[in-house]
Amino acid sequence: MDKFRMIFQFLQSNQESFMNGICGIMALASAQMYSAFDFNCPCLPGYNAAYSAGILLAPPLVLFLLGLVMNNNVSMLAEEWKRPPGRRAKDPAVLRYMFCSMAQRALIAPVVWVAVTLLDGKCFLCAFCTAVPVTALGNGSLAPGLPAPELARLLARVPCPEIYDGDWLLAREVAVRYLRCISQALGWSFVLLTTLLAFVVRSVRPCFTQVAFLKSKYWSHYIDIERKLFDETCTEHAKAFAKVCIQQFFEAMNHDLELGHTHGTLATAPASTAAPTPPDGAEEEREKLRGITDQGTMNRLLTSWHKCKPPLQLGREEPPLMGNGWAGGGPRPPRKEVATYFSKV
Amino acid sequence: MPLEAERDPLTDPRLIPSAADTRKVARASLSPPDGCPPTQAGVMDKFRMLFQHFQSSSESVMNGICLLLAVVTVKLYSSFDFNCPCLARYNALYGLGLLLAPPLALFLCGLLANRQSVVMVEEWRRPAGHRRKDPGIIRYMCSSVLQRALAAPLVWILLALLDGKCFVCAFSNSVDPEKFLDFANMTPSQVQFFLAKVPCKEDELVRNSPARKAVSRYLRCLSQAIGWSVTLLLIIAAFLARCLRPCFDQTGFLQRRYWSNYVDLEQKLFDETCCEHARDFAHRCVLHFFASMQSELQARGLHRDNACRSPEPPAVPEPPEVLDSGSGKAHLRAISSREQVDHLLSTWYSRKPPLDLAASPGLCGGGLSHRAPTFALGTRLSQHTDV
Repeated sequence: MDKFRMIFQFLQSNQESFMNGICGIMALASAQMYSAFDFNCPCLPGYNAAYSAGILLAPPLVLFLLGLVMNNNVSMLAEEWKRPPGRRAKDPAVLRYMFCSMAQRALIAPVVWVAVTLLDGKCFLCAFCTAVPVTALGNGSLAPGLPAPELARLLARVPCPEIYDGDWLLAREVAVRYLRCISQALGWSFVLLTTLLAFVVRSVRPCFTQVAFLKSKYWSHYIDIERKLFDETCTEHAKAFAKVCIQQFFEAMNHDLELGHTHGTLATAPASTAAPTPPDGAEEEREKLRGITDQGTMNRLLTSWHKCKPPLQLGREEPPLMGNGWAGGGPRPPRKEVATYFSKV
Repeated sequence: MPLEAERDPLTDPRLIPSAADTRKVARASLSPPDGCPPTQAGVMDKFRMLFQHFQSSSESVMNGICLLLAVVTVKLYSSFDFNCPCLARYNALYGLGLLLAPPLALFLCGLLANRQSVVMVEEWRRPAGHRRKDPGIIRYMCSSVLQRALAAPLVWILLALLDGKCFVCAFSNSVDPEKFLDFANMTPSQVQFFLAKVPCKEDELVRNSPARKAVSRYLRCLSQAIGWSVTLLLIIAAFLARCLRPCFDQTGFLQRRYWSNYVDLEQKLFDETCCEHARDFAHRCVLHFFASMQSELQARGLHRDNACRSPEPPAVPEPPEVLDSGSGKAHLRAISSREQVDHLLSTWYSRKPPLDLAASPGLCGGGLSHRAPTFALGTRLSQHTDV
């Protein structure tokens, strides 16, 4: 159980490693989807090519976009791109890095689909059956005598064994073997090309711009983690806010009831104790609120998080974010000498 | 632990739960009983941790439910035995009905299974009271609920289209016979009869007929093309929505997300607090009852033995204040009668407290105080018997 939790936490800790897991799953799902999908060539002259092109291209597009949609970094990229600079400069290199890393991972499932489709051969057979060289493979002498539409109609039925009626012209197995051969050759070439490309990109990249790459990688991880931590902090704050709100509601009830008791004519019972001192648990909750105790302040905080992100510089005295509106947090940090060294990344 | 006759429920330390025990039981609903061996307790503990981890963020719970429903849909579709009637008028009804009715049922299931739909409706219908209503939050919750509820129906529709059986059954009679040369020799009514039988492979009329296979193939192709087009459109729409959202009103979005999360959390915490209070109330009620029973018995015993024994003032034991202050629950103990609880719950609904923790306590000035005298009378008299 502990191991499961550790793995789960590891995968979730970093968006990139989580996405690697998702990519693997999607690649497997893509292969499984292809084998579960029932390929159904129409065997009609005009429709064959359209159907095959659709099956070869639409699912990869769907898988690519699905890979991007499932990646939380997409909205992070869009936010980072659209945010006003505020007090933190924007770095286009970081945005480019994020986009490249997302696109690379999202391309894996479509490549698997295209490779599996070509290696299987049904799609290629359906698309190019009308383009088979009849003169070379079948009874070449009979072919010129046929009008073109009739030839097309005959050849379009090659992928469908149960309705093929052109054996006198061209044996069906010959055509099927021929086309599947070409399809498999194309498939293996495609696989070889993509793996070669991936290998070249991966091994050659460190020769160029390694320093810039390291910086972009660091700051893109930073943005991801910062966003996650901000969401977690907001959730914690909302929980503490709700707890204190409900406690205050019960205390207010209590207070009103006590007021009622002291007004009552039956004053036999001694007056209840004065407003109860807030219990220890409440103090802890109030600290979690970090001084933000009403709706307006929280809204201003969220607005300034988007409009004016804090600079990437810790330990420097900052002017109050919201002027007089700050509801008072902890004690101010002591004034520091402005250091001559600050890391500019 | 069986309650034996000689054990005094008020003074036997083994039977009086300590404050710590009550708090622990009130908080951990899945905690194992005391007599559990350590290994079982360890397993339960791990299970509870996993459960709490998934419950901690309600978004991940909702995503989990959505995914579960999608998986159930796939299983349901694959185990369903499709059975086209192969009769002229009934085909379309059956095919389209099977394409549209289960998605509707799944959509409603998705709405039911999602707790946030109830929270949203409550937030929509509550009176404004001290806390003004923000339509943006309601819209945000509505769109999040709808998106998750639409996943399972879409999975069903796409599966049905990609599989093709529904489409073939529904539209076999609408095919244009001109496309297929095999129908040249038949009369129109024969053609229609034939076409109605196309979805049934085993029927004697159409078994092994190339015309049937051609029509069936054509319709399945069309169905798959429509299915993939719909998938593509949906995924492009989802992608654009995800990419372009930050371009519009990002700050508004952050605020609405925070406050809708807050509303959800507040609802959960209020329910937990009420549960705690109910447990506390019940416990005190039971103790009061035992105490009053005991004092009654002692008073009767004293009355009977008054002649024989030396009169001793009975030591009426005070109900032990086991849930005393220091446990931090003083604000719960003040609410101690049925009318008070009802009043608290109706005030929570009609006048939610403002989102401002620095404001002074006291719900609404004199709103409650002028009612309080009658309250006090009622509660004083009915404290023991009113449960």
